[in-house]
Amino acid sequence: MRTPMSVLRLPRGPDPNSRGFDPDSPRFIALCSTTISSSTDTETDSVQIGEEQCARSMLRESFLRTLIAMTNKQVQFYMYERVKVNAVFVASDIDVLNFQVSDLQTPIGVQKEALLRCQDVILYSFDL
Amino acid sequence: MVEWRQLKPLEWCKYVNKKVKVTAHEKHQFDGWVFTVDPVSASIVLVTFQEKGGTATVRVVTGHAVQEVEILQEGNEETARRLRDTFMPLGGQVLSLEELRCRKESLRMWLEKNRIPVEEEGETLRVANVLTVSAPYGAENCSSSNEIILARVQNLMEGNPGLTLQQPSNS
Repeated sequence: MRTPMSVLRLPRGPDPNSRGFDPDSPRFIALCSTTISSSTDTETDSVQIGEEQCARSMLRESFLRTLIAMTNKQVQFYMYERVKVNAVFVASDIDVLNFQVSDLQTPIGVQKEALLRCQDVILYSFDL
Repeated sequence: MVEWRQLKPLEWCKYVNKKVKVTAHEKHQFDGWVFTVDPVSASIVLVTFQEKGGTATVRVVTGHAVQEVEILQEGNEETARRLRDTFMPLGGQVLSLEELRCRKESLRMWLEKNRIPVEEEGETLRVANVLTVSAPYGAENCSSSNEIILARVQNLMEGNPGLTLQQPSNS
């Protein structure tokens, strides 16, 4: 079942009005509420905010290293409804909402290039 | 427990370098050592080491699918080091001071030859006042807030003939 299948529908391009990580955009507010909740707390003092930012950047840097380690490797994606697919990870967007993958092996054939919605994924795993 | 995604970064930090069991949607359960938690998506990166060393398995549970996280074991300095080494970039060569100095000189002369202003600031080179190059003075060691200048300087550095020492001088 390795015959590549033709592209059925091209994905929508990026929104021309925003750079994608505008914190006031409705997409960001709807999907990425984690990064908003801690910065609007007016009771915390600047020292605590400083510590929180240090922690945040350290955690994010480690996560970006994980993404770098995952590039061009075979990754198994476990999705909802017991769907499990294999693909080669290529890139992620900044909010970790979409993954670009190559050679996505689906029950109806191999998609040469595909975009996976992270909201549909429960777990993804790879070997180093 | 309070919803995983509502926790603050400092609270997520408490899980790093600990062995946890994560219960996710659709009754999945995974365990492993927490390397990090992404502050943007609240995804947990779990690492499982193989018994005899060698490759490790990395599993990332997406933040929205996390239902419960239970700490099984505390990590120590050894596990922290193993986790760090798993993700550190490979091929870190150690250059002697003399080699570093040669590379810095070679880069500085190449940039000056291409009419680009460059100054030495201790161990780093400051290019056109907006870009810094630190040891070992490769294209990936450039740092700038201007991405256009960054791309141009990196391209230029890749064309530096002085770096490839294996080439004979009269080829």
